[in-house]
Amino acid sequence: MSRLFVLKNHKRGCFGRHAVLSLWALLLCSSVGAWAQSTAPSANAPFTIGATHLLGFPNTKNNCNGSLTIKDDALRFAQDAKPGAEVKIASVQGVFLGSESKQVGGTPAKLGKAAAPFGSGRVISLFAHAKYDTLTLEYVDSNGGVHGALFQLKKGQAELVRNEVVARGVYSGSGEDQATKQSTSEVTHDDK
Amino acid sequence: MTTSKSNPWIFCVAATVTIAVALSGRLAGQTAAVKSSGESSGSGTQWSVQVEWIDPGDLDLAHSFQVAIYENLLEELNKTKRFKQVLRAGDSKASELPDLLILKTTVVKYTPGSETQRAVTTVSGATKLTVQSQLITRDGKIVLDRTVQGNVLFFGSNLRATHNLARNIAKVIKQSEWLGSERLARYSPVI
Repeated sequence: MSRLFVLKNHKRGCFGRHAVLSLWALLLCSSVGAWAQSTAPSANAPFTIGATHLLGFPNTKNNCNGSLTIKDDALRFAQDAKPGAEVKIASVQGVFLGSESKQVGGTPAKLGKAAAPFGSGRVISLFAHAKYDTLTLEYVDSNGGVHGALFQLKKGQAELVRNEVVARGVYSGSGEDQATKQSTSEVTHDDK
Repeated sequence: MTTSKSNPWIFCVAATVTIAVALSGRLAGQTAAVKSSGESSGSGTQWSVQVEWIDPGDLDLAHSFQVAIYENLLEELNKTKRFKQVLRAGDSKASELPDLLILKTTVVKYTPGSETQRAVTTVSGATKLTVQSQLITRDGKIVLDRTVQGNVLFFGSNLRATHNLARNIAKVIKQSEWLGSERLARYSPVI
């Protein structure tokens, strides 16, 4: 009797372990699935990033700040609280990355440097520069005319945009533009 | 009696004056017609231009520079108002235009500069671009062939060289005597 009880108990314990194991496996699978679903880039999820439009985008001022959005089948640039301009992703023929080093501070900084005594403004120039990424887009209009657009983004962000555009089937050039080499040479000059 | 004798004389003089006036008027009209037809075949012809994509040649010029030259060139050529239409490369409307010139731009020399170097030293770090600009007719005749430079020597970003270059090309085209010249008239298309 006691033997039977022990056996019965043993069986119940084994069943419980199986149940716990299968429940745990089920939970693990579902959580992994959910995590994968949340991290995988969805083709329709909008992607927005801050950028400066340098030139070439339709009906947009040159050298203006705004946000670059990739949503559905269009690439859109909009200034804050203004209706933006957009280009169909299907019309984009190529996307290229580059890099530039620019002096920061604009005209006030230039004036300040010029006013500094004994040419000490030059020393400020040595440190007052920042690196940016450039994103070049080549696209065609409804007549087949080729357009080019140029955007300036923070370092490392242009690649994110390129990946998003490439994920939607656009050809990307050789990856890094020659300007990258240029900025590299610039850095070596600066270091000297 | 004297009045009846002088009447034929008066009639003859009046007839001569009338004929002379009529002839002179017709002659003047003919001259004006010749002049206007001369104008329409010369500088009166409004040419359109199609800007070809920038050819980097053997140089490894950044795409951003090629795009910037191309876009600035379109803008500057529009500003000159010398052309009826300024078309982009690949524009299908170009085939419909009878008087079309093609602007080819080939990069000959490129010196990458540095804005920081320019700001620190003033005398070095200039960005220099040299291109060969050619205006070509549909049948391949070169109407204008110039070498143009665009530099940033002191202030401004490296891309400013492309703006300066485009402005210089537009200036060269505007100032050149190709429009309405005998040389271009010889190449004017037969419709």
